[in-house]
Amino acid sequence: MRNEQIQTILQLTIAITIGAVVGAIAMIVSGAPVITTYIQMWNGAFGNFYLFSSTLANATPILLIALGVGIAFRAGVFNLGGEGQMVLAAVTASLVAIYLPGPGFVKVLAAITTGFLVGGGLSMLAGWMESRFQIQLIISTLLLNYIVVLFASYLVSFPFQDRTGSAALSQTAMLDPAARLPKLFTGMTVHWGFVIALLLAVVLYVMLKHTSFGYDIMMSGKNASFAFYGGVSKTKMMLHSMLISGGLAGLAGVFEVLGSQYRFVDGSLTDPGYAWSGIMAALLAKSHPLAIVFASLFLGALHTGSLGLERNTDVPLEIANVIKATLILFITAKFSITWWQRRKKAGVSTSGTV
Amino acid sequence: MSERILMKNVTKKYGDFYANNEITFSLQDAEIHAIIGENGAGKTTLMRILYGLEEQTSGSLYVNGKPVRFSSPTEAIKRGIGMVHQHFMLFPHLTVAENIVIGHEPSSAGLFNRKKAVSQVKELAASYKMTIDPTKKVKHCSVGEQQRIEILKVLYQGAETIILDEPTAVLTPHEVKGLMDTLKLLATSGKSIIIITHKLKEVMACANRITVLRNGEVTGSRHVDETSEDELATLMVGRDLKEVPPRAAQNGATHLEVKNVVVGEKGEKPTLHHVSLQVKQGEIVGIAGVSGNGQSELIQAITGLIPIESGDVTMDGESVNELTVYERRQKGISHIPEDRYQWGIAKSASVAENALMGYQYIDAYQSVRGVINRRRFRPLVTKWIEQFAIKTNSLQQQIDQLSGGNIQKLVVARELGHESSFLIAAEPTRGVDIGAMERIHEALIERRNEGASILLVSSELSEIRTLSDRIVVMFEGKIVGELSRDEATEEKISILMAGGTVHA
Amino acid sequence: MELFDLSLLHSTMRMFTPILLAALGGLLCARVGVFNVGLEGLVLIGAFSAIVGNYFTDNLIVAVTVAMLSGMIFSFLLAFMTIQLKANEIVVGIAINFLALGLTTFLLRTIFDVKGAFYDSSMRGLPRVDVPLLSDIPAVGVLFQSQTPLVYVALALPFVLYFFLYKTVAGFRLLSVGYNQAAANSLGIRTNAIKYGALGLSGLLCGLAGAQLSLGQVTMFSEGMTAGRGFVALVATMLGQSHPFGVLGASFLFGLADAISTRLQSISIPTQLTSMLPYILTLLVMFFVRGRGVETNYSNEQSSR
Repeated sequence: MRNEQIQTILQLTIAITIGAVVGAIAMIVSGAPVITTYIQMWNGAFGNFYLFSSTLANATPILLIALGVGIAFRAGVFNLGGEGQMVLAAVTASLVAIYLPGPGFVKVLAAITTGFLVGGGLSMLAGWMESRFQIQLIISTLLLNYIVVLFASYLVSFPFQDRTGSAALSQTAMLDPAARLPKLFTGMTVHWGFVIALLLAVVLYVMLKHTSFGYDIMMSGKNASFAFYGGVSKTKMMLHSMLISGGLAGLAGVFEVLGSQYRFVDGSLTDPGYAWSGIMAALLAKSHPLAIVFASLFLGALHTGSLGLERNTDVPLEIANVIKATLILFITAKFSITWWQRRKKAGVSTSGTV
Repeated sequence: MSERILMKNVTKKYGDFYANNEITFSLQDAEIHAIIGENGAGKTTLMRILYGLEEQTSGSLYVNGKPVRFSSPTEAIKRGIGMVHQHFMLFPHLTVAENIVIGHEPSSAGLFNRKKAVSQVKELAASYKMTIDPTKKVKHCSVGEQQRIEILKVLYQGAETIILDEPTAVLTPHEVKGLMDTLKLLATSGKSIIIITHKLKEVMACANRITVLRNGEVTGSRHVDETSEDELATLMVGRDLKEVPPRAAQNGATHLEVKNVVVGEKGEKPTLHHVSLQVKQGEIVGIAGVSGNGQSELIQAITGLIPIESGDVTMDGESVNELTVYERRQKGISHIPEDRYQWGIAKSASVAENALMGYQYIDAYQSVRGVINRRRFRPLVTKWIEQFAIKTNSLQQQIDQLSGGNIQKLVVARELGHESSFLIAAEPTRGVDIGAMERIHEALIERRNEGASILLVSSELSEIRTLSDRIVVMFEGKIVGELSRDEATEEKISILMAGGTVHA
Repeated sequence: MELFDLSLLHSTMRMFTPILLAALGGLLCARVGVFNVGLEGLVLIGAFSAIVGNYFTDNLIVAVTVAMLSGMIFSFLLAFMTIQLKANEIVVGIAINFLALGLTTFLLRTIFDVKGAFYDSSMRGLPRVDVPLLSDIPAVGVLFQSQTPLVYVALALPFVLYFFLYKTVAGFRLLSVGYNQAAANSLGIRTNAIKYGALGLSGLLCGLAGAQLSLGQVTMFSEGMTAGRGFVALVATMLGQSHPFGVLGASFLFGLADAISTRLQSISIPTQLTSMLPYILTLLVMFFVRGRGVETNYSNEQSSR
């Protein structure tokens, strides 16, 4: 166990260092001084309370998606469908919040529930296809992303388009003020969704660590045959973990609609790449729910930091994506001082009676 | 005869552990030399050094009198040394000829001349009187054929010295005889052969010389005509084996019954054809057979890991066919799996986490429904560790840091810990040392004496004969014979295992 | 307008080329046991590099070469990460996709100072040429008229690959790595070198696919212009059982879906719905694919981390 922890820290340190170096190179390419640019980036994310709250707001969908992806990882499933699950949940939740009659809190609760179920349901569909028809989940979730995002775009461009404004934008009508998720601080962007996400992280942590369901998930991820042999149902694990995974991605979309945008706008969830940042956060944190909180804050900060760069310097905000991608590229690399020695030994690894 | 290979004072250390300690070993031209010893004695390590898969810590190697040092198998192959691994290194999707010539393909201008490969292989096989169809895909070959392919491959590469690691483990007695004949033929044509095994009978039948290893050291080296099976056994073990505990007389009712079970074609593996058997309370039924004759499928059908096509599995007369793995475990089935790494543990989890499997839903180890109380579970694991003398630093240690024997003991303890009425013990002592084997055997007999029904599956005849009250033999997915403990001689079982018939 | 006619097939030829090229790249990866989720990113890199090469040199041969080389470099990066650093190949594949997206948008800003898309009317696209004999065939000859040279290259490649894999010693050894790497290693076959070679070649093909996208169909680059074609190509590899001719057929199917989808846009169906068609078809096709569509000793692989 010790060794594993050291290995994890080493991997993380090296990945972040390489990410920072690549970021520095990108800055030099854009003709900006490295140190000041990094300071600008820091200020963009944490410079004042408003910016800090924006970082938290930005981290919220990342955190929720990462928790979902993390649970699936733990169960040994690679759910890449966060984007679609988030978008489909967001569009249905916004329709529910707009068209469901009743007082505000009913709309909010109904929207959250539908969002969770729609996201979870879409994700379960992919899980079911894998367990029933052996359809590679990695691919099916990716393809579903494209289909669902196009479908949501169709919904808000045609049947449910907001026609009140002058310009015909692809978006729904605005939510009733009563059907919105309140902000944490007035005038700030961060809303109650962030607190709920934090609570969910703790709940998931406890669930994984202390419940038999969590144990089943962990063992399925470590060795599916072993779990099956011990009485854990493969299909049930797949469906349940995908339900939670997709449901959390769904919540990410719902909270964006209820807490930030107050309507579903085509592309507003996909353009910032929340889903991909969520996957990255889960990878960075090795799917540990509490570590995911920090990883999400980090990635959220990278994003708001890059917005700061865009405002104050000539460095384009896309630099954040280059840094993130580099991090992920190196995050599962197995660095050790002796990796080249292993290469020699890896020549043949035959087993036998030792 | 001159000395072809000499390994002089070879030592291999892993940390503080001596896998080989000052071993000296020589091989003559045209000699069959057996290296015997229990699991963990250091046989395989020594051969891996000779084949360039490991480098020795100290000591020297000579081939034909010249000092050498191998850092990869390629170098060993260049010196005429070839190895047939216990787990075959074959390409199931390629043909026999392709498997044999790969790495030294006959070609012109970069084009692979498959026709020539086929004819070369045919010629080679004929010259050693081996029958093989070069155009067949390897996945359609029997285990015996696959072994011939491995030997031919080594010969094709030009080996003068051939190392065979536990070559008879997977063969039927009939195939074993064929292999022995082939090896003798190879020796008379000038090849030198090293055979690693722990089966004394086979050693006495084919080897010229025998070297015995124990705990990484040579305990003796003998010519075949100046030794006996008994002497070799003593050299191997170093002490007398413990007696298994006495068997209490039992007269229980039928507990588990398998009726006419059919399991369909799955890949290339044999299926189950109308298998029926009963296990009574307080009885150990041993299933003998060369592995791969349907034993795995039978176990998986009973435990619910694979569905059955027709037939029925009942416990105390009630069908468990429709039940899930979990429900069957609740009914009282526990299961020591045949492959502990595939089914028995999660390598990257801790000892404690691995021990918990199957206990996570039990109320006694939960605080509230669904919440595991590890504090309550811990004493149980501690007890197992004591009972079975499992060597581990702590409960939090990652399980793959334990030796195979200790892992197996944990799996056995975990499954016995359920005190279930029915236990499947599949290869319960595969790859463990003698101490662990004795302890596991003792525990199984104790469980039987307490009245549990045990279905034992083992490819080791000696284990089957030591433990079983009744022995059934499986061949090609069928039960081909049943013998009582008293009438089961090694000869009778062997004949049945090869598909023959025994007249009582 | 009729839905099915020769001009539909003509545009299919054009549209299936990038998919086929990338899918053949996927085939090479699959054949050495690498499940390459990064095809999408490699194609995108190729598309961008082709435009950069074209813009700065105004030489199409250089542009295509630059595309191939950059695809190859990133593919080597993927190979290095998975072979040398033993990183998880799926994670690395995803990272490559993301890196491609991030780098191309970043460089779009820094090099061309535009957001979204880059187009310059002075840039020339790939020339349209006819194949001498084939284009004279009545009726179907039109398929071999005024296509880019890359279309013909792509069509020839499955045959070249078939010959290489099943007739040459080098191809035989490449296949052996995918079938059973441990066994190939034990025979002294240099499996890592073969893997690098196969992955490098795969990157080169993806670069070509990218060049066809950005220089063949239109002469421009837009952010994320691959739009999942790399993933569709991966499914084509799987559906084609990683056999050159199988992949050819599968890619044609997906190209046809692409062409129909484009055709439907002209008859007043919302683009969102018509654009879904290729993805839905791909998803449906997955029901006919088992596992990762290549024979190895380790079948039944789970899509686990």
